[in-house]
Amino acid sequence: MDLTYTAAEEEFRDELRAWLRANIPEEWGRPEFWESLGDEESFRVRRDWERDKAEAGFAGIAWPTEYGGRGGTPGMKAIYDEEMVRANAPRTVNALGLTFLAPTVMAIGTDAQKKEIIGPLLRNEVIWCQGFSEPGAGSDLAAISTRGVRDGDDFVVSGQKVWTTNAVHGDKIFAMVRTEPGSQRHRGISMLLIDMHQPGVDARPLKQMSGASEFGEVFFDDAHVPVTECLGEIGEGWRTAMLLLSFERGASGIGQYTEFRRQYDEIAAVAKRLGRHRDPVVRGKLARVLTELECLRLHAMHVLTEVEQGRDLGFEASMTKLQWSETFQDLWEVFDDVLGEDATLDAVDGLDLRPWHAQSMWSRSVTIWGGSSQVQRNVTAERVLGLPR
Amino acid sequence: MFFALTDDQREFDSAVRGYLAERFDLDAVRGVVEDSGSDGHPASLWKAAGEQGWLAALVPEEHDGLGLGLVEAQVIARALGAGVAPGPWRATVLAAEAVRLAGSDEQQAAWLPRFAAGGAVGAFTLRGSAPGVLPAVEYGGVADVVVARSGHGLALVEGATATPRGSYDGTARLADLDAGAGTALPGATAEVVEELAARATVLVAADLVGVAREAITRTVAYDRDREQFGVPVGSFQAIKHALADLHVGVTMAEHAALYAAHAVDARLEDAPLAVSVAKAKASDVAVQATGAMIQYHGGIGYTWEHEAHFFYKRAKRLAGQWGDADSHRERIAALTLPE
Repeated sequence: MDLTYTAAEEEFRDELRAWLRANIPEEWGRPEFWESLGDEESFRVRRDWERDKAEAGFAGIAWPTEYGGRGGTPGMKAIYDEEMVRANAPRTVNALGLTFLAPTVMAIGTDAQKKEIIGPLLRNEVIWCQGFSEPGAGSDLAAISTRGVRDGDDFVVSGQKVWTTNAVHGDKIFAMVRTEPGSQRHRGISMLLIDMHQPGVDARPLKQMSGASEFGEVFFDDAHVPVTECLGEIGEGWRTAMLLLSFERGASGIGQYTEFRRQYDEIAAVAKRLGRHRDPVVRGKLARVLTELECLRLHAMHVLTEVEQGRDLGFEASMTKLQWSETFQDLWEVFDDVLGEDATLDAVDGLDLRPWHAQSMWSRSVTIWGGSSQVQRNVTAERVLGLPR
Repeated sequence: MFFALTDDQREFDSAVRGYLAERFDLDAVRGVVEDSGSDGHPASLWKAAGEQGWLAALVPEEHDGLGLGLVEAQVIARALGAGVAPGPWRATVLAAEAVRLAGSDEQQAAWLPRFAAGGAVGAFTLRGSAPGVLPAVEYGGVADVVVARSGHGLALVEGATATPRGSYDGTARLADLDAGAGTALPGATAEVVEELAARATVLVAADLVGVAREAITRTVAYDRDREQFGVPVGSFQAIKHALADLHVGVTMAEHAALYAAHAVDARLEDAPLAVSVAKAKASDVAVQATGAMIQYHGGIGYTWEHEAHFFYKRAKRLAGQWGDADSHRERIAALTLPE
């Protein structure tokens, strides 16, 4: 058992901390600050800040240096995830590009794609959207109907994607498109890299139950994309998508733990302020959530160990997702229990509750996106436990 | 970062599991369960525990032990839980831990080599006080010596009079002990007593984790084959989702027991929290998993003939030992909420 990081990893932590300390204004720690900026300005500030961070060498932590990454260890990536939360660093604006697209391009992209996609992505010159879900294809991804018809050296794309993160800020979208006419289910799909700044693409914001509009819908009406802008083989988009989604598997959950644990401590402070911290029922509920949070921390150490030992976590990633997302949702349920009959009010005892309510509403989404809890349970039951399909 | 069992620790695990599978399987367990008048202390199993180092793990090498840590001990506890194995392994290990941590040089020299080899059976309790009645002591009836509270410390008591206490968990035996004053363990400060309680709690949590994992594994195996409505019942989502959630829960409990063992041994700052997290999680998930074992076997799972009740009953007993889930949650609240 060795729960420490190496000297080089701790040195990396110090460097990163110093940079973050020097480059994050104190007011960024207050949720009101970001709200006062509005969606547009907030996105721009985050986009620029993240570019500066990349230029300082704090991006693509575990990516090979040949792609502009830092060439760091999985431990450094875990430290990065942890320190970013501790420092109140803004959330990335290019999550889908960084987590999914870049490693897929490194694995199967053409040389041209590697050159054109990865560098600009790291510097936030291109914001990437993921075009998977459609009105008729949520959990059932193979039901997509967006189609691409070959026209000379282009595909002409028509259809609709929905619940697309950063839709209105997106520059390009990696989209699952049915390029073989009449094909069914997993066959005949291609992963096309579509320029969103063209007349045939219309991105509209969707207002979420939280009131924010981080996602949207993307309409394709004879959008053009060169056939060379296909990631993986034409017609093999399902295989590309499965590879792409597999890059979530190395994620340990340590970033989530760090964030949620801080939220737990904030909720505990609210409980004390309202005198609710002595209520035995509230104490029991908080302790139940804390138990799951600590398990998440240990699970993150387990995942990091497996990655460092060079083992593929395979479908175990579903467990990581279930543990963090369900626990996060439970945490915010308990927040309402702490508030009791005042749970829905904007303010209580001089406390502005709205930023917390925003977290609480957000927690309803995490058990849906990226594979709903029901899908994760199916995967766990069938692929890990071996129960029949 | 290495949060996992080493190859040596894995081998220890396989050795215990291998022995139980070949030499003390569920038929043997049934023999103990159904012979409720017996002492629940099979000689063959005890001999193996002595010969194969299960009892010696935590005893220092200078006293003929293996000088290993609580991480190895929780490996053994988990394997014994998975086999719903009877016998005074944990009782003896905890008595030995008390002597190791609080005993005089003479007491250590007198007892530790015997405990390590299986030459003496020990018991350990913090309920009641000597002299006096110590209630429902695990394997108190076969113990050569019991470690119990005495004044502000602990005492080693021999020759206590045992009165068996019936329990629906037939995989263990309990007895009230009418104990004399015994001899004091000179190093038994409040901190040492607390550490012993932590060690006991971790080993019980590990047993529960072993029980829970085995319950899930057996249920999955059964539901893969058992057909109703023309298909395996394990193909129904109602069952799949429940078993998936239990798999996640048991995995988390496995992490928690492993970490708690390490935290106690390494004296990490968060050891008290780690111990309570492990016990709260293990208690809940073991009762849920063994309850699910009965439910997802259907009618056969409710019969005496089926083994599900061994697992369920052991989980129910151990879930309450050394603090039930609620009491550990209260401790977690005290450790993490402002005053």
